[in-house]
Amino acid sequence: MKTSRNSVNAKQRRWGWAFLIPATVMIIVMSFYPMVQALITSFKKGPILNMEMADPWYNNYARILQDKIFITAMKNTFLYLIIQVPIMLVLAMLLAQILNNKDLRFKGLFRTMVFLPCATSLVSYALIFKSLFATQGLINSVLRSLHLISDNINWLGTAGTAKFVIIFALIWRWTGYNMVFYLAGLQNIDYQVYEAAKIDGASAWKTFWRITVPLLKPVIVMTFIMSINGTLQLFDESVNLTNGGPANATITMSHYIYNMSFGQGVGKFGYASAMSFVVFIMVGILAAINLKVGDTRD
Amino acid sequence: MKRKLIALLTAGVLAVSMIPAAVYADEAEAPTADVASEDENTLSVYAWDANFNIPALEAAEADYQKNVNPDFKLNIITQSGSSDVENAVTLAASAGDYSTLPDIVLFQDHYFQQFHLNYPDAWQDLSAADIDWSDFGAEKLSYSTIDDVHYGAPVDNGTAIMAYRTDLLEEAGYSIDDMTGCTWDKFIEVGKAVYEKTGKYLLCMDGSGNDLPYMMLQAEGESQFTDGAPTFASNEKYNQIIADIVTMITENVLYLGNDWSDYVDQAIVGDMVAGVLNGNWIIPSMELVEENTGKWAITSLPTLEGGEGYAANGGSSLYITANCTKPELAVDFLANTFLGGSTETYDAALKNGGVITCSAKAGASDVYQEGVDFFEGQAIYADIVKMGANVPVVEQSDYHYQCRQYVGTAIQNLVAAGDTSPEGVTAALEDAQGQLEFEMEG
Repeated sequence: MKTSRNSVNAKQRRWGWAFLIPATVMIIVMSFYPMVQALITSFKKGPILNMEMADPWYNNYARILQDKIFITAMKNTFLYLIIQVPIMLVLAMLLAQILNNKDLRFKGLFRTMVFLPCATSLVSYALIFKSLFATQGLINSVLRSLHLISDNINWLGTAGTAKFVIIFALIWRWTGYNMVFYLAGLQNIDYQVYEAAKIDGASAWKTFWRITVPLLKPVIVMTFIMSINGTLQLFDESVNLTNGGPANATITMSHYIYNMSFGQGVGKFGYASAMSFVVFIMVGILAAINLKVGDTRD
Repeated sequence: MKRKLIALLTAGVLAVSMIPAAVYADEAEAPTADVASEDENTLSVYAWDANFNIPALEAAEADYQKNVNPDFKLNIITQSGSSDVENAVTLAASAGDYSTLPDIVLFQDHYFQQFHLNYPDAWQDLSAADIDWSDFGAEKLSYSTIDDVHYGAPVDNGTAIMAYRTDLLEEAGYSIDDMTGCTWDKFIEVGKAVYEKTGKYLLCMDGSGNDLPYMMLQAEGESQFTDGAPTFASNEKYNQIIADIVTMITENVLYLGNDWSDYVDQAIVGDMVAGVLNGNWIIPSMELVEENTGKWAITSLPTLEGGEGYAANGGSSLYITANCTKPELAVDFLANTFLGGSTETYDAALKNGGVITCSAKAGASDVYQEGVDFFEGQAIYADIVKMGANVPVVEQSDYHYQCRQYVGTAIQNLVAAGDTSPEGVTAALEDAQGQLEFEMEG
């Protein structure tokens, strides 16, 4: 009796492994193998067809520290991260709270409106923002007809305003996306908890901080990790909205990596791979900090 | 409520997933698989620009069919831009598999040196053909010639034109003759007057990376590079040129566009300028402003010390790839069309696509002597071919595009700081040169 059950288990287990094999093989071939190759490439230099080991082997990594453009790109990316992610997540949470209100009318309509930007392609929305903020674009003509400005502002041609446009565009594009996660999280919180809090005389502010935030914590941690990850890999907006300009004032790390590998026919794949691994390590560190801070197992 | 949310998410996911699907559907239609034909009389070629290069290639096909081989067929595979062709070369070469390339590719001249350096076995040379190379502009050939071996068949002519709106110059009290062979200082003086009187800029450039500094230096007969290394930061003339450019921007003589589209669509097509300086391929863009017909004239470039300057920028050539299994046919085709066997190709290319030759023989044909209404009846094509013969050959670099990007950044930084002092300019250029050297290290 006992042996036969074991053999059934073993059989099931075998089938389980068999079903896992195709996906495992695909992941290894399509993801892990290229990652290992990229790591090896990151220690090499020279034209792509006959790359040789850099001398010393960590040369590409040592160069990153001296590369002024990479440091500019890193500063830009972290500026986006520090300003854009908190604004976006707070906005998303506020919107989720408002749209979670049981007495609100046309909830479906409002939710669709907030989510809709996420349905647009990254390239097309970046191009639309580019034409909106062009020197002869809509934003300038609106501001001029309202007599708020007398001369057209060169939004994308001035370092400060170009950064602002990118942050603004990012907020527009991604707030709704994060709101959906919060909304789903909020609906999992039993309404009775809020009723109990109300009976206990808790203010709305207190309810939010003592009930909503703790119960939403896993969702908040997830959105934080996703946003940090996404911002560190920011590419489309930098390429399509400003092309990294003016004078590299808006270039992101991924954009610079692209320029060094595929852009302008440069083909510095060794150096580009090394920079990719630096970004990879940054994402890893930030995600680890986030997980530690958001750890629910006290 | 949950159902609504799910419906919403599903709709969103659907919408998102449909966009890439639509994009890929477009790509799939591009005939990429058909690059190598078994037929012994067919050649395939990658090219772009249905208004410019494609008519030139069609003209060559018709010419070769009529005069050499009636069974010949040229399979022109149209790409959406020059970068598509350049990416296809990079992709094929970095994969080590040339089978995705057609027999012949057309791409921009500045890329060839770098492509030859990185992928030396991707190209087949033209030494098998008997060609009178002295008929072509030496400057144009300098891009596609390596160690005296010719690889490229020139299609167009990159000679730079300095075009002025004569009516606006007149309004400011000047004429085209004042401008021909003038100094850049005089140019700035005229530019200020023109902007004051008419509100138009006498020059424009693309701030994200433009060849204006390169062309201005070439007109002085010098290069940004010496023996393969960048030396522009210590070049006095180049320092002066950059200081002049920054002055022009701050004095409203030069409109600094944010990018290519700002340069072409806003500045030139948007009729903001009284002068244009670039390769002659910019003419079709100028002609889009129809109400300015008969108001433009073309001449040579100003120089620092005065005297007529000549430069060239852009343009492309045809190259035979390693994947071509019929090199004799490819060489014979090029030798009998673009490489000067017949003027029919160039006459039709000029008529149908506005492509100007750099072959002196083809430039002597009747079609080239006709006046152009847009330029007050000036025979600009003949003039451009003549100017092309005067363009000085200067050292080319594999790092041309990187160089112009770093210099563009330096110019923008100087403009933002409002700094035209010699020390400031030198410091900014040294910074740019340092970045470039860093990138060239390998």
